[in-house]
Amino acid sequence: MSEPYPTIFAITKDALDLDELVNRITLPTSGAACLFTGMVRGVTRRGDPHDTLYLEYEAYKPMAEEKMLQVADEIRERWPLVEGIAIVQRIGRLDPGTPTVLIACTAAHRDTGVFEAARYGIDRLKEIVPVWKKEVSPQGETWVEGDYHPNPGDIQTESPPGSPPGSPPA
Amino acid sequence: MTEIKVLFFATLRDRAGLREAQLELPEKTAVKELKLLLAERFPGISESLPTVLVAVNREFAFDADLVPDGAEVALFPPVSGGS
Repeated sequence: MSEPYPTIFAITKDALDLDELVNRITLPTSGAACLFTGMVRGVTRRGDPHDTLYLEYEAYKPMAEEKMLQVADEIRERWPLVEGIAIVQRIGRLDPGTPTVLIACTAAHRDTGVFEAARYGIDRLKEIVPVWKKEVSPQGETWVEGDYHPNPGDIQTESPPGSPPGSPPA
Repeated sequence: MTEIKVLFFATLRDRAGLREAQLELPEKTAVKELKLLLAERFPGISESLPTVLVAVNREFAFDADLVPDGAEVALFPPVSGGS
């Protein structure tokens, strides 16, 4: 029996080491990685143009980590050729230019769905992983709220017996 | 009676004025009733009620769900977006 594919999920106060995280999900069989990272934008031009001094992130850590694992499980259901998955959110005070979140997926080849999988990962994180940010600008502080309201379909379902999350297909 | 712990995050914490509270509830209280009870006790959160998200024992819960004894309930706004 082969080792389960690596799944990394974490809320952390530490700096994100993008290289190290990608290394940890790179297997001997991996030949492609798709990585999305979001960073604090100091100057916003779209919509309501403004400057940002820093963002303050907070999370409901135990639930957030469970929901990250759920996102990883959903990715594996949809893109079974994905090998490693890393989903990491940094919290605390983060200055412009600092990476705040990383979603990375690895696979044998790039035509396996890795691009779509990483895209799905970040979009889904913004729906169901309880993390919030407060924006501090020269004008003051504002909480940034999204508009997604989870429904009963967003509840974690049990994996069928014999297929633990993160296992390669038989 | 049922004893629960309630956690507030982000705007809900600011409006409630605290991070955490212990609460006694009648048996078989549903999430919808719990929200109203909390708004009575912490009037600051009333304006958040239409959009607040509720988790019970670290999973999303909905108006008709019952709150079990010893539950850890969390109230928070929708997850921060970005595009």
